[in-house]
Amino acid sequence: MKYTAKPLPKVELPELRQVGKPLRRVDALGKTTGTTVYSGDFTMPNMLHAKVFRSREPSARIKRLDVSRARALPGVVCVLTAADLPDARLVTDMPGQTGQKRRAGSDAPVLASDVVRFAGEPIALIAAETLAVAEQALDLVEIEYEPLPGVFDPLAALQPGAPVVHEPDNVVARWKIRKGDVKAGFAVADVVVENTFRVPFIDHAYIEPESGVAWMDGQDVINIRVCTQVVEHFRSIARAVGVPHNKIHIQGTLLGGGFGGKEDITVEIFLALLAKHTRRPVRLEYTREESILAHSKRHPFIITHRTGVKRNGRITAAEIKMVSDSGAYLYLSPYVLLYATIAASGPYRVDHLKVDSVSAATNNPFTSAFRGFGAAQAAVAYEQQMDEIAKVLGLDPLEVRCVNYLKTGDRNATGQEIKSAVWLEEAATRALEALGEKTPAPSDAVKIGQGFASYLQSYGRITWFHDTSRAWVGLELDGSVVIRCGVPDLGAGQINSLCQIAAEVLGVGLDDVTIYSTDSALTPLAGTTTATRQLYMSGNAVFHAAGAVRESLLERASKHFEEPPDGLDLAEGRVFVKDDPEQSLPLSELAAMCAAGGLPLANLYLFKAPFTSTLDPEGLQGDVFPDFTFGAHAVEVAVDTETGEITLLKSVGCHDVGRAINPAAVVGQIQGGSAQGLGYALMEEVIVEEGIIRTPSLAEYLIPTAMDLPVTQAIILESGSGVGPFGAKGIGEPSLTPAAPAVANAVADALGVRIPDLPLTPDKVLAALDRAAGREAVGAAACETDDDGSEA
Amino acid sequence: MLPEFNLLTPQTLAEALDMLAESAPDAVPLAGGTNLIVDLRDRRQCPAVLVNVAELAELRGIRQENGHVVMGGGTTIAEMLNDPLIAQHAPVLQDAARIFANPLVRHRATVAGNLVYGSPAANTPPPLLVLDAEVELASQAGVRRVPLDDFLVGVRETACRPAELLTAVRWPTPAQHSAAAFRKVGLRKSDAIAVLNVAVRVTQRADGVCEQTRIALGSVAPRVIRARAAEESLLGQPLTETAIAEAARLAAEATRCISDIRGSADYRRRVTEVLVRRLLTQVAGEVK
Amino acid sequence: MQPKVVTLNVNGRQHYVALMPNVTLLHALRDLGYTDVKSGCEKGDCGACAVLLNGAPVNSCLVLAWQADGAEIVTNVGLGTMDRPHVIQEAFADAGAAQCGYCTPGMVISAKALLDRCPHPTEAEIREAIAGNLCRCTGYGQIIEAVQLAAERMSEGSGE
Repeated sequence: MKYTAKPLPKVELPELRQVGKPLRRVDALGKTTGTTVYSGDFTMPNMLHAKVFRSREPSARIKRLDVSRARALPGVVCVLTAADLPDARLVTDMPGQTGQKRRAGSDAPVLASDVVRFAGEPIALIAAETLAVAEQALDLVEIEYEPLPGVFDPLAALQPGAPVVHEPDNVVARWKIRKGDVKAGFAVADVVVENTFRVPFIDHAYIEPESGVAWMDGQDVINIRVCTQVVEHFRSIARAVGVPHNKIHIQGTLLGGGFGGKEDITVEIFLALLAKHTRRPVRLEYTREESILAHSKRHPFIITHRTGVKRNGRITAAEIKMVSDSGAYLYLSPYVLLYATIAASGPYRVDHLKVDSVSAATNNPFTSAFRGFGAAQAAVAYEQQMDEIAKVLGLDPLEVRCVNYLKTGDRNATGQEIKSAVWLEEAATRALEALGEKTPAPSDAVKIGQGFASYLQSYGRITWFHDTSRAWVGLELDGSVVIRCGVPDLGAGQINSLCQIAAEVLGVGLDDVTIYSTDSALTPLAGTTTATRQLYMSGNAVFHAAGAVRESLLERASKHFEEPPDGLDLAEGRVFVKDDPEQSLPLSELAAMCAAGGLPLANLYLFKAPFTSTLDPEGLQGDVFPDFTFGAHAVEVAVDTETGEITLLKSVGCHDVGRAINPAAVVGQIQGGSAQGLGYALMEEVIVEEGIIRTPSLAEYLIPTAMDLPVTQAIILESGSGVGPFGAKGIGEPSLTPAAPAVANAVADALGVRIPDLPLTPDKVLAALDRAAGREAVGAAACETDDDGSEA
Repeated sequence: MLPEFNLLTPQTLAEALDMLAESAPDAVPLAGGTNLIVDLRDRRQCPAVLVNVAELAELRGIRQENGHVVMGGGTTIAEMLNDPLIAQHAPVLQDAARIFANPLVRHRATVAGNLVYGSPAANTPPPLLVLDAEVELASQAGVRRVPLDDFLVGVRETACRPAELLTAVRWPTPAQHSAAAFRKVGLRKSDAIAVLNVAVRVTQRADGVCEQTRIALGSVAPRVIRARAAEESLLGQPLTETAIAEAARLAAEATRCISDIRGSADYRRRVTEVLVRRLLTQVAGEVK
Repeated sequence: MQPKVVTLNVNGRQHYVALMPNVTLLHALRDLGYTDVKSGCEKGDCGACAVLLNGAPVNSCLVLAWQADGAEIVTNVGLGTMDRPHVIQEAFADAGAAQCGYCTPGMVISAKALLDRCPHPTEAEIREAIAGNLCRCTGYGQIIEAVQLAAERMSEGSGE
């Protein structure tokens, strides 16, 4: 089928000088020349080396723990166990910096005391003079376990009589959406389509494993240099260590990738404890294996859609059930589940909707944030369901979506009115048009398939968290600009965007701006780099702070030129009269005039997201998010029907980003985010058997190489309708969300049969073809998720 | 960190063999290290002594000798990939080398290391088996030649004795009417351990009748195996579709697959048949 | 296990260092301050630690420092600096090829090795050359673009 791009609504975006330009990022050359220093690159004089002793058992009672031999090893300076740290618990609550109430029972012990609940759970900390000694000491820790019954499947965990991971039961969170009258909706449906989809555990696989260095200073402050997405964890660390909040100082570094995996506390708590107990600098760096063992995973989900539709494809009602595996500790599971629940019905108008979701504790690795945060898993299900609906009705997949797409002014699953542009059809038709005609198959055994997926994804945090960000912007006397902002830069260009925004507002070049970031004590707190919130939150904070400085400058210049402030502008490091640009001054002179007059040259701005109240848990109706990003991803695949191998041939992502602050960086997000989605679809899976990870390193946990991916064509749409600075929306997470379901749909198109479980391995392709042909299925690999056929 | 060991760096082959003999069985040769160092790190091997043979001139070089191609055991996969002699006489080996791990590993990994490690999923044994390769094993006692087919024993098990060094691989220069092919299935397009891999070589007379056939199967048994019944079924026959299908079926029957994280036993067996059929079809076309 | 003094010629500078035999080149280089050589897996799976060893791109985590005794080693910082970046480093910056930047030094090394032997690579050749360097941020598109850009600029520079 040939698709033609739907014409875009007319939008006039103002021409800007810095914003909207694909400028070289401020951090680019430092990184490409190897100059940038990452957290693992820091060392300190007289530094100790730390290791973490971890559980090998997924569910056991610790019968005996004896660290005396480890302590006695020459060179070992400190060994800590739970006995040394009463009450040390890891508080990784979602509200973070905003002071909201924590959920009861959400704290994981820093070190396990009597019971271990997952393989990899920390039990003891060792600090030694050398890494070699620390590693030797690990081998000298004596431990005896009494195995306890474990539960390794979220469905099993919800059954009566299942081993209980935490009292009173394994339900860690439940959410429900009740909207309209589902019964009535199904009553008017012509057809009801029901399917169940599954997604696996996923590792973030950032190339930089977790690392950091901590030391105490002359004020008894514990300083921690660490790669983290959340410098505000200093509060949780202070509580766990037992010191006042002002005695923990996080000096965050540029991250070697985060993707949600450095959102929870990682090494910093261990570093703080060891630095405090030894009063010496301590370094801790995870190996890749320890990284995979120690940090969170993306939640596996089992999602069942039951959708009532009219013959023309219009959805009359939907009933969706979701089960996620929360692993051994809570972390952000309730919120990931909430995001999934709200995104469950996708970017479609469903007036009669019922969603029931539950997250179950198991003795599997714990799960928490990962780019997409539940909404990515939801999309894998709802977009495959849309294609299945189209198939049942004999309609084109685009046609079915078009009759259901949300429009501006419509209400989403929680009844929140969508106020920004909703260019779903515009994005989908562009992605499909760019995909073009199907590539001819090279042989009979190879089938070509095309597929696409649409999505909605929130950017900015849940509004009942009362999210804030702060930024300080100042003009130096030579006309250069300084930003101070606590934002952690994960590599996506967070700090660069802030610099481009300040440069725009203050009329300087990008080279004239320097940013100091990611410091819990020295830079204004900007909140977490999560939830696609930094451009929206800190971007606005910088925009307004720079705006205040601009106002102050123009006011002073207005006196000088005897022109009203709005008759003046700032550009190229000068202030000038708009109607007579010859009349101008360098910013340095203007700054000097302001300084001489005691006028402010700097501003600290606190940006607040909309604040709402929590929703009624009986139906979750109300406003939840600041806004949403919309778009589509389309792919073409070649499937070898005899070997089951899938090759990606084409990939196109089209997203309305509101306004691209730096289009090159947006392309990078679309290509990079979708690469993670393509890996999700085709090869990535943390295989967990009875609580033990069978993909312990990057030799087994496969992420795409340069040979696996076509270059994703990035199509950037700019509606200018977002709530970020200059009308920007967020693109960090949205870029990933539609890629995996697009692949699943393309493979289903190629094969004529759907594989409902990611990843789409060669084994599963052949099994699906067998099912379709009525042949006996190829035996599933022993490692594959046990499918007991029960429903969510 | 790596466990403790002593590292000896001989200047000559003779010296290396002395060092290996002196410390046997606790000494192992170290060349590219792409398997060994990983094993050391994971504590899968903890030898007391490593003998660094990476720089030994005697283990390098690819040459023709009495109707044979002789390749030093220290030849890296990258060297193999760029060698004109291999390109001329054993392109099938380059097909395997091209998707061997990744380019960084290929610059260190050696053919001897790949063979001695005894992995059923290794890339070079299937093409070398279909080339009728022999390995040269040197020790203080002298040099012995062992057919590769006898050298491979089981999972990480070979006929290499303690204090022996695999110094060279050699195979008869293939006949004019011979064609070979290799195919690997992995879970990604590069740097993937084989779910299975297959090499075939066929020598045909001018009338298309098959004079000699070799079929080698990787990752479908405890060692890389020859599918002899399948090979024999083609002898004296033209490579018709039926004959090829039968050989492919027999090849699949020769497998003893297991299920692991990369694929199920049934998958491996079934795709073995597919790959053997495809490769035989491909070479049948090429020879003609 | 006894230490030995080995000579490491890194980026044109000679270092004489006493090292134990079980120290990998990766750790030896990082301890000498070449922290641009990144540690990502220590098993040869990710390529973050890639250096040129006598001109060949290798994973420094899979080379023992003793094996590099006397060899010429080039790390990313040996190619250029912020003031005088190498064409490849500049192209990577210009093309947006570095997001988090952690894979970048190794990626630049693989690109250097490619362009040294093949000044006008095809897209497929570029992909093959960087197949041992994992990147989790970019999806490789802008990295491939950067290598193409570097190749163009190098051929312009050489008057081709």
